[in-house]
Amino acid sequence: MPAMGMTTAMGDTTEMMAVGLGHYLTVSAILLTLGVLGIFLNRKNVIVILMSVELILLSVTLNLVAFSATLGDLTGQVFAMLILTVAAAEAAIGLAIVVIYFRNRGTIEVEEISTLKG
Amino acid sequence: MIAAAAFYLFAAVLIAAAVMVVTSRNPVHSVLFLILAFFNAAALFLLAGAEFLAMILVIVYVGAVAVLFLFVVMMLDVDFAKLREGFQRYAPVGGVVGAILLLELLLVFGTWQFASDAAGFRLNPAPAGVDNTRALGRILYTDFVWLFQLSGLILLVAMIGAIVLTLRGKTSTKRQDIAKQVARSGSVNLRQPALGAGLGAIGIERPPVEPPPGEKPRQVEHAGHGHDHGHGGHH
Amino acid sequence: MLNWTLALPEIVLGVSGLFILLGGVIPKKESFFPVSMAVIGALILAAVLVLGQGEGTAFLGQYVADNFSRFAKVLILLGAALGLLLALDFNEKAGLGRFEYPVLMLFATLGMMVMVSANDLMSLYIGLELLSLSLYVIAAFDRDNPRSAEAGLKYFVLGALASGLLLYGASLVYGFAGTTNFDRLADALSGDDVGTGVVVGLVFVLAGLAFKVSAVPFHMWTPDVYEGAPTPVTAFFATAPKVAAIALLMHVLIGPFGDLSAQWMQVIWVCSAGSMILGAFAAIGQRNIKRLMAYSSIGHVGYALMGLAVANDTGYRGVLVYMAIYVVMNLGTFAVLIAMRRRGRALEQVEDLAGLGKTDPAMALWMAVFMFSMAGIPPLAGFFGKLYVFLAAVQGGFWTLAVIGIVTSVIASYYYLRIVKVMYFDAAPDGALDARPASLTVVMASTGLLTLLFFLFPAALIGAAQVAVASLAG
Repeated sequence: MPAMGMTTAMGDTTEMMAVGLGHYLTVSAILLTLGVLGIFLNRKNVIVILMSVELILLSVTLNLVAFSATLGDLTGQVFAMLILTVAAAEAAIGLAIVVIYFRNRGTIEVEEISTLKG
Repeated sequence: MIAAAAFYLFAAVLIAAAVMVVTSRNPVHSVLFLILAFFNAAALFLLAGAEFLAMILVIVYVGAVAVLFLFVVMMLDVDFAKLREGFQRYAPVGGVVGAILLLELLLVFGTWQFASDAAGFRLNPAPAGVDNTRALGRILYTDFVWLFQLSGLILLVAMIGAIVLTLRGKTSTKRQDIAKQVARSGSVNLRQPALGAGLGAIGIERPPVEPPPGEKPRQVEHAGHGHDHGHGGHH
Repeated sequence: MLNWTLALPEIVLGVSGLFILLGGVIPKKESFFPVSMAVIGALILAAVLVLGQGEGTAFLGQYVADNFSRFAKVLILLGAALGLLLALDFNEKAGLGRFEYPVLMLFATLGMMVMVSANDLMSLYIGLELLSLSLYVIAAFDRDNPRSAEAGLKYFVLGALASGLLLYGASLVYGFAGTTNFDRLADALSGDDVGTGVVVGLVFVLAGLAFKVSAVPFHMWTPDVYEGAPTPVTAFFATAPKVAAIALLMHVLIGPFGDLSAQWMQVIWVCSAGSMILGAFAAIGQRNIKRLMAYSSIGHVGYALMGLAVANDTGYRGVLVYMAIYVVMNLGTFAVLIAMRRRGRALEQVEDLAGLGKTDPAMALWMAVFMFSMAGIPPLAGFFGKLYVFLAAVQGGFWTLAVIGIVTSVIASYYYLRIVKVMYFDAAPDGALDARPASLTVVMASTGLLTLLFFLFPAALIGAAQVAVASLAG
């Protein structure tokens, strides 16, 4: 992993974590990339897009938890908890919208979403 | 040392599961891999000392959100065979874009640094000798009461939204409303038509609401509605 | 010190929202009209409380009240109340007269107020999500109409992506600066060597906010959502949330990231120029008037961002004046669009306005006032809005941006004036429009008079904007 060398930069605050912050950030960056890719690559199924959004939010949460542990500051964990709450609300509304879309069109394929064009 | 090995294991499974969420052919498999990803992320939270969040992730996410996903995927009854055909077409371009984004982010983390006095800006230093859940509980309902209440409102909005979008009224089921039936007196007439008498002989059965005087109903309407009302009269 | 009484307008609005929701659920029959009236009452009450609000921070620095937030909140509450007034008649006729609509608008407005009062990345995010989630639902409110459902879906997917990017940026800023509080961030970022982590975080945050204001690289959702959503929802989208998002963008950029202005000025410059150009050219070929208004709103956001790109007090004042005038003209224009109804059917094409000058001279006159104002023709209000941002750009030495602004307003005036031409010089194909309800006439006439007579009393608005900007920078 390219981000290995940074554990030393963190000094005394790392005792909370077994591995360096850089490792966490790398995992989180990969998750973010996968989530964004999932949204743009997926042309067939809206539900997978919603799951990709969940992956993005998971990556943010992971970032915040890692920073929170490194800084020894609980604000990050409170932020992460708020994100989990909002993500649950977002999933509920997203799925409701997918359901009414399916009722109207009988499909959830992304490529079919083209009634409105510009 | 064991913790480091555990980190690599969980991180590897997490990323593999995330890849499968995005690429798997069957949405049900995607949801299952999403659940796996959440479990592994919870393990990573534990390693970082955020035990309460780890539990919340498992309970709220795996317990509620992922199951909600599974429920909707099953409910929509999608033709799975047709799904995911177009992936290969977009994969090369998307892969290049994704790789660039990832490399740039890694580059950032390779050269990152904290602001010189970041430690001094901590709002809520983690107290020593208090476990994570207790420490969070101490600040969540006091220092963060504003955000806590507002996130409650967000959940309320989500509830209103899901209900208003998907709840159908009583359109699908017909219930007998006895009070309404009893109150209908006067709008139903019982008649004994002569055997073999057609609609023309019986005339139009209407509720006893008189049309304004001097205005005869048009003949066309007789033809349109006569049949319905005729039936009503026979029952 | 929680100092919670400072947040009284938000608390009163939220609690009255809960009671109004109860009042809508309990009665057996549909209570759209009384609930709407109660929500308008609550919005007015909140506006009164905002006007009497003190200054300072509350909730350990998560909430801030100052003249800037007061200016933005009054504008937001005004836009939301008039936006709900626009929906009254339309929703009844379109079968959307359900009491959840005004309640969701109330919570969206509460989210906007939290946004403009946010003094912390967390309250910023919570306010933004309270707004966005309500908007996703009301975009899809016409649930049996495939276009509305599709508008909701598009808005949701892209909005969730934008929120995700904004959050990722916020997490990087938190991690590398060590705090989420705006005042502490401003201290942490005041040095010369700001890490790349913070700058990358800022870029992500900017991308997320640019989506919410529909500035150019992130505008693609706007035309589809504006066209697909029910017209009163479009009217709401185009007014109050835009003000909230612009105010939030200003607050974030000038407050915590004020010392990084060299970095963000270029980004805003590009967004502003791109929005003005796209708004001018893409609207020309549009036949659907809601799509046309979508591109027009993208263009208007470009002009407003011009003032932000200048990054001095004159520019900021220009943004506030521009947004206030924009909200008034837009509400009036949408009142006319909602009144476009022939034999019970709602109309959305530009040609449907033909002959309006003969069949309904009063409405045609107001529409002409709004169109001339949007085109920036003196002495209407829209001219002054443009004047103040252009002046700021010229004084700040942003000649290229000012020239782009002037050229694009000339191009954009083509399609505004085309609407006036259709109204007065084309023959009415299909008879007169239906009689319009009184609520629309009220909105049309009040916003029309404000647009028409603004030149008589510009000092009031400009003075208020000046005071607001002073509290922002100081």
